[in-house]
Amino acid sequence: MSGFLIKRLLQAIFVVLVVTLFVSYAVRLSGDPALMLSQGAGSVTEEDLQNIRTGLGLDRPFLVQYGDFLGGAVQGDFGLSFMGGTPVAQLMGDALPATLALAFVSLLLSIVVSVPLGIKAAVNKGKGVDQFIRIISLVGLSFPNFWLAIMLVLLLSITFPLLPPSGWDGAISLVLPALTMAIILSATNVRLVRTAMLETLSAQYIMVARSKGLRERVVLYKHALRNCAIPLITYIGLQFGNLIGGLVVVEKVFNWPGLGTLAFDAIANRDYPVLQGTVTVLAVIIVAVNLLVDIAYGLVDPRIRNK
Amino acid sequence: MKLKTLLATTSLVLTCLVTPVTHAAGTLTVALHQDPGNWDPIATFLVSWGAVGSQVFDGLIMRTPDMKLVPGLATKWEFLDKNTKLRFTLRQNVKFHNGEPFDAEAVKFTFDRLLGEEGKKGPQQSNYNAIEKVVIVNATTVDFILKSPDPVLLTKLSGYGAMIVPPRYIKEKGSQFFGMNPVGTGPFKFSDYKPKISLSFDRNGAYWGGAPKLDQLVYRFISEPATQAAELQSGRLDVANQVPLAMIETLRKDPKLTVASMDGPVALALRYNTQRGIMKDREVRKALTMAVDRDTIIKVILLGHAKPIASFQGLLSFGNDPALKPLPFNPALAKTMLQKAGVKPGTQIQLDFRGPDSNFREVAQAVAGYLQAVGVTVSLKPYETNVLLNDIIPNGKTGEMWQNQWGGWTFDYDNTAYAMYYTKQRWNPFDDDAKLNALLHTQRNTWDQAVRKSTLNEISRYVADQALEMPLYSLNTTYGLNKRAKNLALPADGRFRFVDATVD
Repeated sequence: MSGFLIKRLLQAIFVVLVVTLFVSYAVRLSGDPALMLSQGAGSVTEEDLQNIRTGLGLDRPFLVQYGDFLGGAVQGDFGLSFMGGTPVAQLMGDALPATLALAFVSLLLSIVVSVPLGIKAAVNKGKGVDQFIRIISLVGLSFPNFWLAIMLVLLLSITFPLLPPSGWDGAISLVLPALTMAIILSATNVRLVRTAMLETLSAQYIMVARSKGLRERVVLYKHALRNCAIPLITYIGLQFGNLIGGLVVVEKVFNWPGLGTLAFDAIANRDYPVLQGTVTVLAVIIVAVNLLVDIAYGLVDPRIRNK
Repeated sequence: MKLKTLLATTSLVLTCLVTPVTHAAGTLTVALHQDPGNWDPIATFLVSWGAVGSQVFDGLIMRTPDMKLVPGLATKWEFLDKNTKLRFTLRQNVKFHNGEPFDAEAVKFTFDRLLGEEGKKGPQQSNYNAIEKVVIVNATTVDFILKSPDPVLLTKLSGYGAMIVPPRYIKEKGSQFFGMNPVGTGPFKFSDYKPKISLSFDRNGAYWGGAPKLDQLVYRFISEPATQAAELQSGRLDVANQVPLAMIETLRKDPKLTVASMDGPVALALRYNTQRGIMKDREVRKALTMAVDRDTIIKVILLGHAKPIASFQGLLSFGNDPALKPLPFNPALAKTMLQKAGVKPGTQIQLDFRGPDSNFREVAQAVAGYLQAVGVTVSLKPYETNVLLNDIIPNGKTGEMWQNQWGGWTFDYDNTAYAMYYTKQRWNPFDDDAKLNALLHTQRNTWDQAVRKSTLNEISRYVADQALEMPLYSLNTTYGLNKRAKNLALPADGRFRFVDATVD
C-alpha cells in the first residue's frame, strides 16, 4: 500500500509541476504587464516600459523567474501581485474560502436534487416521469454556464428582485451562483444516478429484498442506494475538476470574490504572480481530490493497489 | 401535499434570507471595472486609479469636467525667467487627512519622490521629465525648475503622478502601507480597502474646497460590464463606469435609471501600412478612406455613442480642428480612383484588429463589406490584444490596415500625434517623414499655446492629406446612473470628484 501511495504522490507532484511550468511559460507569451500598467499614460517611452519590467523582475531569464516562483511557492510565498504589490498569498487566502464555500454548496445542492430525481427516473424506467426527467436533464446539460447565470440574474434579481445579482452580501449572495452551478451539475448527476440505480435494481439481492416483502422505500434507499453510492462518490470526486473549471466562469459573472474571479482578472491584467498562484492552488486541489479518489479505490479494490 | 410543504418552506427560508435591498442614506456606490491594487499616485497609470485618485488627493492645479485648469492646492502660478521656472503660491491652512500640514515641504517631497528612484519603478515619471527639481522659496512658495519645455505640463500637474502626498506619513509608514491606506488632502478620507472587492471613503468635513455632501463613498470592483448593468438594474449601484453598448437602451427605459453619454478621449482609426502592396499609393489610401461610410457604422453598430473624426483625436482634444472635415463617403469616386491607380478588382488586403473587442469586430466586418463593394477584398485577422500591441504593431508585422485605439486623460493631440507619427516611435513602424517630424518637434518645444494649436492643426491636415490612416470615430464616454444620484459632475476622462454629489 505504501508503495502505491508514494507512486501516486510522486505522480501528483509531477502533474502540478508540469501545470505550473506550462502556465508560467504560456502567460509570458501572451503579453506585457508593463504595457497594461501604463494604459492611459500619455507618453510612455520604451525606457519607462523597461523600468517597469526591471521593477517587476521580468528582465531575468524565464527559468530564473520560474525557479524563484517555485522556491517561494513551496514556502507558501507566491510573490507580489503586479497590480499594486499585494502579496498573492493574502489575495488567495481571502479568495479560497469563498470558492470552497461555493463549490461545497453547489455540490450539496446538486446531490440533494439529483439523487431523488435519478432514483425516481430509474424506478419508473421508460414511463412518462422517466422521459420527463431525462429531457429536463438534457436541457440542463445543454446550457452554457455563463448564459444560465445571466438568465437567472435576469429572472431572480431584476424581474423579481429577490436576490442580489453579484458580489458578497452575506449568505444570500450564495444562492444564485450555487443554483447556477447546481443546475449544471445536476443535469449530469441525475443521469448518473439513474444508470447506477438501474444496474443495482436488477441485482439479485434487490429481488430478494422485495420478495421478503420489504417496503419499496426501504428497498430503494437502504439497500439499493447504499450499493450504488460507491461509484457515485467516485464519480462526484472526479467531477470536482469540472466543477472548479465551471466555477471560474460562474464566479466571474457573479463577481464572486473567489479564486476564479482572481484568476480571470489576473489573465486580463497579465498579473503573472496571481495567475501562477491561483493555477497552482487550483491544480493542487484537483490533483489532491483525484489522489483521494485513487486511494479510496485502492482501499476498496485490492487489484488496483497491487498492480 | 408534500410539494406544498416544500414550497412553503422554501418561501419561508427565502423571506428570512432576503434583506431588503436599500441604500444607506448619503452613501454613493460606484462600480469600477478594475482594482489597480495600489492607491499611491506614482504606482500606476490605470484609468481605474484616476477614477478614485481625485477623491482622495489634490494637485496643485485641478481640471474641471469642462477642461478648464483652475487653482487646486496652489492659488496661483506664473512662469519666470523665460519659462525656465514655474512659481506656485500655495494654499494656506490645508491639512492632510492625518492632520499633517500641507506646505512647500510636501510639494517638494512629492516631486522628489516622483522624479527619483521610487518614481522610476512606476509608469509616471517620464510624463514629468521636464521638471528638473522643485525648490522651496518659503513655506507657501515653490519654484519648479524646468529643464525643457513641456506645453502640456500644467495639465499633467492636475492629475495622477502630480497629486500631492503627505511626507511625514509616508516616511513613517512606508510606501507599501501608504499604497494600501492612502492619505491626501482631498474631499474624501480613506476608510476601508478590501482588495478586489471594495474601497470605502468617509466625507472629509474639513475639506478646503467645502465639505462634500455625501457621508460615504463606496467603490465596488466589478469587471464584467453586464454584471455592472445587472447591479444597476437591481438598484444596488448609483454609478456604473462600464455598461455594455447593447444594454444602454434597456437601462434608459428603466424609470429609475439613466445613461450619460458624452464626448470621450478615445479615438479609433485604421492605420495604413504604407510600405505594403497597394497601400504605398496615397491615392489608393484616400480611395479606401472614401469607400467607408463611417456615419452609418456609428449609427448602426455603435448605436450613436461615437462621433466621426477627421484626425486621430477626440473632439475635446487640444489640437482638434473643427474646420477639418473627414473625406466624404463616395464609393463611386473611390472605385474610379482605385481603377486609375491600377488596383485590380478582387485585390486582397488584410486588416488586423483586437480580437476580444466584440464591438470593433463588427466595425471591421462593416469596413470589409464597404471595401468589397469597391472591389477590394479584406481578410480580417483578429489578434489577442497584447500580441497586437506588443509584437505585431511595434515590429511592423501588420497587414495593410490595423486597428489603432488611443486616448489619454490629458486630452492633448501632442502625445497622440508624437507617438503615432514621429519617426521610430512605438506606434509608427512604417513612416519616416522629415516634415512631420519637424512639425511635431516645433509644437512640443514651445510654451506658446497659440503656436501649438496652429501647428497641431497643420499636423492633422498634413496627416489627412498623406492619408496615413482612415480616421473612424471617437467613442463616447458612457456611465450608467441611478437617478437618485444628483450633481455628479461626470468627467469625460473618468476622473470622478463627487464634492457636490448628493443622493435622495
